[in-house]
Amino acid sequence: MTARTDRVKRRLLKQAFAENLDTIRGLPPRSVRPSNRAFRIWLKRTPLFILFLLLAGSTYLASNPTAAHDTFVPAKIVINRPRRPVAPASVIDPSGMSITALPLSVHRVVIDAGHGGNDPGTTSPALLSEKDVTLDIARRLSVMLEKSGFEVVTTRTDDRLIPLRERARLANQSDSDIFVSIHVNSIAQHTSEHGVETYYLGPTKDPTLAKLAADENRVSGYSVADLRKLLDGIYADARRDESQRLAAAVQQQLFTNLKTNDRGLENWGVKRAPFIVLVATEMPAVLAEVGCMSNASEVAKLQRADYRQQIAGALFQGITKYAKEGT
Amino acid sequence: MADILHVGIDLGTSRSAISASNGERFVVDSFVGWPADMVAKKILKRAVLIGHDAVANRTMLDLHRPLERGLLKEGSDKDVEAVRELLKHLLGLVGVSANGKVDASNVRAVVGVPAAALRTNKQYLRNSMKGIVDSLLIVSEPFAVAYGLDALLHTMIIDIGAGTTDFCVMKGRYPTEEDQRTLTVAGDSIDAQLLKLIEERYPQANVTIYMVRDWKEKYSFVGDAAQKAIVTAPVKGVPTELDITNEMKAACETLVAPIIETMLDLLARVEPEFQERVRNNIILSGGGGLIRGLSEALEKALEQVGGGKVRYMEDPVFIGSDGGLALAIDAPEGDWEKLSA
Repeated sequence: MTARTDRVKRRLLKQAFAENLDTIRGLPPRSVRPSNRAFRIWLKRTPLFILFLLLAGSTYLASNPTAAHDTFVPAKIVINRPRRPVAPASVIDPSGMSITALPLSVHRVVIDAGHGGNDPGTTSPALLSEKDVTLDIARRLSVMLEKSGFEVVTTRTDDRLIPLRERARLANQSDSDIFVSIHVNSIAQHTSEHGVETYYLGPTKDPTLAKLAADENRVSGYSVADLRKLLDGIYADARRDESQRLAAAVQQQLFTNLKTNDRGLENWGVKRAPFIVLVATEMPAVLAEVGCMSNASEVAKLQRADYRQQIAGALFQGITKYAKEGT
Repeated sequence: MADILHVGIDLGTSRSAISASNGERFVVDSFVGWPADMVAKKILKRAVLIGHDAVANRTMLDLHRPLERGLLKEGSDKDVEAVRELLKHLLGLVGVSANGKVDASNVRAVVGVPAAALRTNKQYLRNSMKGIVDSLLIVSEPFAVAYGLDALLHTMIIDIGAGTTDFCVMKGRYPTEEDQRTLTVAGDSIDAQLLKLIEERYPQANVTIYMVRDWKEKYSFVGDAAQKAIVTAPVKGVPTELDITNEMKAACETLVAPIIETMLDLLARVEPEFQERVRNNIILSGGGGLIRGLSEALEKALEQVGGGKVRYMEDPVFIGSDGGLALAIDAPEGDWEKLSA
């Protein structure tokens, strides 16, 4: 063994003992003591934060010149409940830490019905539009969740356009535990196929996914280049594992449940894509594509209330499954 | 002064191992079970069962796996008790007990735990192990592995356990938060995925998670299959051969993308002039390191950033506990005394 290795070993041992002694004395780990840590985070994150502010500001002006913050009526928010106690060491960097580490169960759920108002989403020849389907499923799902004791925050309860950023703000302000966005697919090139898929936030190299994300992000106003810069800082987030778990639970329930009376339904699985609602929300967040408007038989089914109820039921099971696993 | 016994313990989600300075080494499954009722107590004639015994008699037991998902759950007295029983059992195996050869006050123990457990509830973990031995140093598992292999500088350890996959970049210092990452995709998530896929393909077959775990240990692979994974399971009570090659591949490959992503991300955070050295010094440890084709898959991913080398350890079972033992022996007695206060 070289002298150098010896020296390194002695140093490591000393640090290991120092850290254990700190634990015995009840001190936080050295690496997260506020003195240097907070400053370093500040230095590291500031450019990103400024970029975010600039983007948000410009987007806001560009995307809705008439709307103003204070005239906006949030659909339904519960804020007066006292916040759950937050871990005292708020300086701890959560990156790399699984949320399952914390004593946490799902109390409050944000249900986001995709599109709305001037933005119909995808439409079918039969004049069924995505915004109506998502809203109806969201309503049904909310009822089920509330009956089982969850608190539900909805981003819209009627046919109006709510910018994605606003949806994220609503969700973040409500101090919710998870965020579930409901959408319907349309795949012009493959009208004979239909399936379900669930997304969580992550990078994608698949050009069709990038296009889908671009479609769903359209109303946000962010350019692709801006988005990429924003995303790079967020992918390593601790939320990712949790979001993936939520997505897996939702996808599994969606598929197994809807497959029972539809043998042709395909399982397109859990995927990652940079949807803006998933970027801006601060809680584990998923986006479920619960059906396919490009498929005629699927459109016929989506027009039936009992099928929409079934979808809501499947989403409900996915959410409760996730909530149970997490406790 | 009585003889001092140094021990290294790897407290894992799935298996726990101990290496002692008297040359003894043992490994047990990290299961602890208490007889569920009076009948079970009468049949088993023991107050607590550990490891393989506990799994084999699980129908009669209140069975606990204290570090599930790489964490010691707070607020669960049974889990704390299970950790203590597990530690006592391991120490007993190497001769430490109240009336055994070695007295607990002469033991210097280094316990390696999943990195996530250490990061999130260090204090709780420490209190849970209080009083079992006099001198106890708790370190993160990947650190113990790195120390045991003398891989202290410009190395990345990827420790694929049951509950978590732990990453640790060694930079010649005690690893800080930013040098480490934890994923919850690991052995257990493969088992769950594999079970689901098998149930989807063979709805009539009767399969448990314990059977799936054994199959995985035998056949796990990613990439091209070297052999078909043919297993036997009861279908309507009749033992039947099932081909689960595709399911095995699909389940094991759920690990690949997240591991590659995290590996590349951590690499990108290494100081630029050292990145190449770290790339050529990646070590796979833990049970997941035995997945055939995994190191090749990781090396393939490294090609896009200039190429690298991924080694895996032939016998990963005792790497962690041996590393802990090396730490225990190297630590000066003066430092140990500070801890035992």
